[in-house]
Amino acid sequence: MAARALEFTLNARPCRTSAPAHWTVLDLLRDGLALHGTKYGCGEGVCGTCTVLLDGEPIRACLVLAARLDGRTLETVEGLERAGRLDPLQDAFVREGAAQCGYCTPGMLLAAKALLAESPAPTEHQVREALSGNLCRCTGYTKIVAAVLAAAQARG
Amino acid sequence: MRLAPFELAEPASVAEAVSILTRHDGECRVIAGGTALVPLLRLGLARPDRLVSLHRIPGIAEIRSEGGALLVGAMATHAQVRRAAAVQGWPLLAEAAGRVASPAIRASGTLGGNLCYAESASDVAPALLCLEAEVTVTGAQGDRTVQVAGFFRGFFEAALEPGEILTHVRIVPPPPGAKSAYVKFCPRSAEDRALVGVAALLVTSGDGRQCRDVRLALGGAAPTPLRAHRAEALLRGEALTDAAIRAAADAAAAEADPLSDLMGSADYRREMVRVWVRRVLTSLRDGTQPL
Repeated sequence: MAARALEFTLNARPCRTSAPAHWTVLDLLRDGLALHGTKYGCGEGVCGTCTVLLDGEPIRACLVLAARLDGRTLETVEGLERAGRLDPLQDAFVREGAAQCGYCTPGMLLAAKALLAESPAPTEHQVREALSGNLCRCTGYTKIVAAVLAAAQARG
Repeated sequence: MRLAPFELAEPASVAEAVSILTRHDGECRVIAGGTALVPLLRLGLARPDRLVSLHRIPGIAEIRSEGGALLVGAMATHAQVRRAAAVQGWPLLAEAAGRVASPAIRASGTLGGNLCYAESASDVAPALLCLEAEVTVTGAQGDRTVQVAGFFRGFFEAALEPGEILTHVRIVPPPPGAKSAYVKFCPRSAEDRALVGVAALLVTSGDGRQCRDVRLALGGAAPTPLRAHRAEALLRGEALTDAAIRAAADAAAAEADPLSDLMGSADYRREMVRVWVRRVLTSLRDGTQPL
């Protein structure tokens, strides 16, 4: 199976790689590029833990073919920290205790980042809507929502 | 878990895509956003040896107005439809696109892919039925135009012949003064598919209590998305009394031909059609929220 050459921006750096045609973005991240922050949950786009940002918009890495990355910009949880400083969202998740097992956290962070880029001062309802496709089976939603609201205030 | 291997074609034109599909008929599937097809691949419910991705075709995701009508390219995502300036005159479509699943699915899933998947519980199909949209389909013999009302052939079956691709959706403006709404009833959680979805478009006379025209379409209420013609006929030209609205809701429930599944029984779906048609019509009449 011929590999497809890919050039895209990954976490603010140029990335030249290749992937078999049947690989998804998630396969490429975890198995091709050894970036294990993005998790495999359901594989069907339902649970949200593989959420990453493609050209700033949230996508399910398990549903999008790697070929779609060519020429575009991808951001994963590994790209949130800049120059040794956590993203305000990560900081808020730590302060609010918004992670229990942590498996949903990377997807929650990126879904929240997409929300704050579009709505810098969201209401609680908007936060819940933006995270509606991200499941937390520890059922820690309350602190996750509080962390996103706190991060919005900290940025404000 | 990996997908089973397949070849991937990324044609740069509709003609090239049609040519690939025609040459490899039967083993080939078109992929748009992948939100429906990739789960089928993952579950082994589809096993194509070649996928044809439309993402490199110039202009196929374009949203623009042309001669007063709205043209939406097949690869426009629900998120793009929801926020496009050109869609402002079609609030029913923007509202339905904004109710599809969750933000990450809306950013990948496409209007064309949604229609070709021909899911009964589609959010955008009832809106497009109310707006009397038409789709353009391109195949080896050229283009043909199909009313959305004629595009759903059966359960998960669109009126596409082998080798054909849906390229765009065309929508004429809604009638002047029309009010519209889409309600999506999800008994479990907001990002779920609709148990029942109701799109409604209402034109009233001067005092707002007389129905000049009405269009009603249902998702999740039959093997395909459905226009509730008999319910509409009961209301057209009538006073919008509570009794008239109840009669229309009863007619819509009678027109529904729902399936039973794990989300709900056919009887429950039929009752929810009755409830939500009544609520959406009442709210359009009164200018209130349907909840």
